Amino acid sequence: MRIIVILGRVLDPAGITINQRAGRIFVNREEYVIQPADRCALEVALRIKDATAAEVVVLPRGPLPDDDILRQALAIGADRAVYFTRERFKADEAVMVRLLEAAIDRLGGADLVLTGATTLDSGQGQLGPRMAAALDWPQILDAWQAEVVDGAVQAVRQDGTGYVTVEAALPAVVTVVPGAVKPRYPDGVRLVNIYKNVGEIAAALERWEVTDLVGVDMLVPLVERRGQDFPPPRERGVRLSGAPDEVAVAAAQALQKRMNG
Amino acid sequence: MSYLDLLMAQQEEVSEAEGGGGGVWVVADVVDGAVAPVTLEALGAARTLADALGAYVYGVLLGSGVSDQAQLLYQAGADGVRVVDDPALAQFATAPFLKVLSDLFAEEQPEVVLFGATEMGQALAPRLAQQMSGGLIEHAATLSLDEETRTVQGAVPIYGGEFFEVLACPQARPQFLTVEPGALGAPFLDRYRSGEPTALDVTLAEPDVRILGPAEGFEPPAVPLAQAPVIVAAGRQAGDFALVQRLAAALGGRVAGDRGARDAGWIEADQVIDVRGVTVSPDVYVAVGIRGDTFHNAAIEAAKFVLAIHPDPEAPIFALADLCIEGNPAEVVPALLEALG
Ligand SMILES: Cc1cc2nc3c(=O)[nH]c(=O)nc-3n(C[C@H](O)[C@H](O)[C@H](O)COP(=O)(O)OP(=O)(O)OC[C@H]3O[C@@H](n4cnc5c(N)ncnc54)[C@H](O)[C@@H]3O)c2cc1C
Ligand SMILES: Nc1ncnc2c1ncn2[C@@H]1O[C@H](COP(=O)(O)O)[C@@H](O)[C@H]1O
Repeated sequence: MRIIVILGRVLDPAGITINQRAGRIFVNREEYVIQPADRCALEVALRIKDATAAEVVVLPRGPLPDDDILRQALAIGADRAVYFTRERFKADEAVMVRLLEAAIDRLGGADLVLTGATTLDSGQGQLGPRMAAALDWPQILDAWQAEVVDGAVQAVRQDGTGYVTVEAALPAVVTVVPGAVKPRYPDGVRLVNIYKNVGEIAAALERWEVTDLVGVDMLVPLVERRGQDFPPPRERGVRLSGAPDEVAVAAAQALQKRMNG
Repeated sequence: MSYLDLLMAQQEEVSEAEGGGGGVWVVADVVDGAVAPVTLEALGAARTLADALGAYVYGVLLGSGVSDQAQLLYQAGADGVRVVDDPALAQFATAPFLKVLSDLFAEEQPEVVLFGATEMGQALAPRLAQQMSGGLIEHAATLSLDEETRTVQGAVPIYGGEFFEVLACPQARPQFLTVEPGALGAPFLDRYRSGEPTALDVTLAEPDVRILGPAEGFEPPAVPLAQAPVIVAAGRQAGDFALVQRLAAALGGRVAGDRGARDAGWIEADQVIDVRGVTVSPDVYVAVGIRGDTFHNAAIEAAKFVLAIHPDPEAPIFALADLCIEGNPAEVVPALLEALG
């Protein structure tokens, strides 16, 4: 069985400051991490691998300026990873789906595609269901857990305040919520070997030219960025005055409004 | 009904295009048999877009026993409503809902399609966008229109709303967007608007995902305090710590505190909010009797909303809080618990 994990990187929010008054984002420390939900998807894949001896192949969810997160994924336990090479490569989800579909085809197909349910930065969750549409496979979104049982994938999803188990026949696409599982750490020896390019693991990172997979006419993103917008500055220090129960009602309303989005 | 009502009602009997005519479409979310607020919000936004584009607004209502909700869609701004009312659609499932919409949209060729950013919208919009080579912008918090190219622009919250990225899909049609619940504001419901919904003739697909039943024994992993969305923290002036715990339970939040609370023996060292301890960024932070020293205040800098309750009007926490209640927590917190229900 072959499991594809699609993962991307994100600027670690701990390293950036957003100055709303200046309308600017300052990157104090440019440090990228694997998208948290994608990292959970990798962990789910590795648990299935532990249970069924599947092969886990990692593909990127977007253009990557370097292959760091792929090396990390290999050190964590993936069997293979593919880095897509192309000069000034730009892509959105629609472009990536074409590329990923072609890559999966070249790998000889797959039984399960796992990825994060949302990205930490932009909150976009369209990659998983777009893959399901392209491959014409069933999709299970926002899973907390997934395992392979008798040629089917069984996953746990939230349903109101409780959790239900759902099942889809393989092949299928499953997206995993951030924080669903506790991801394992990279293995020290594997990490060293993958960076020193020694041992078997060095050969596990492949580089595929984008235009060998899809035509250039397929590489036009649909999504265009048209600028940034900043929320109005917070009005701080608003004092509530009045009788204690009036104050409490106003505060309760403010809290409930904040918590419902 | 008065004569005036009748006259108005006749004038506002809405009309729609014949089909294949583009238009701005809104797919309704139905919760417990009623149209969800996010759908009305999306219809209000659709109305504004359509008026500027010179287009019609259509609502799509899928579910079981939903037909009588159609008038609400007209009132919120729809010119036409398509309904599939079938017991098989009582619960959302991807495959049957997808089949109805992909057949409908293949015929109608919408210019814009709006969904709520809900379980249904997040499951269907990407699949339809992929099938129809459409563009998709998810979780839009505001919509604007580039009239010249008839392009809808969506502002998408980045890092949970620290700032917004304005995105657009100028080339692709249809333009799919999911809109964030509560972000666009409720539209005016015009009770004089009404119409005759069209029942769609469909053959329903079988679900391709089966629900096996409750996930016995499944427990989601505990969220670290640093990532908790709601935190209620106690300080020296909290008075009765049990009240703080009750407030946290009422808000579905986590209990924490400052150094004073730890010295009082109310919390453990790993619950101390302080730059030398745990730094947090919750959606809601309630500081109960916390004076707010520099190290504490720096650790809650990234909180999106802070409510502070403290008897001292000069407490530094008030300079940082969004909402300040000057008072004794022993009186304010019980009243707050009462008000929260
Ligand atoms: C919503 C959004 C999310 C982004 N996420 C990342 C990210 O996770 N990691 C990163 O290094 N840079 C990310 N970027 C930054 C940017 O897309 C890349 O640095 C880009 O390749 C640089 O060129 P550009 O900004 O001129 O690209 P543009 O031409 O503006 O970008 C084209 C499209 O590609 C998409 N995209 C590109 N790379 C990624 C990616 N890795 N993951 C998801 N979408 C991508 C964006 O959604 C964008 O719409 C993101 C940008 C946006 C708007
Ligand atoms: N929304 C984003 N999320 C993550 N990284 C980003 C985002 N926007 C820009 N970046 C990265 O931040 C750096 C500065 O980007 P820019 O703002 O385009 O100059 C680049 O390395 C980008 O890849």
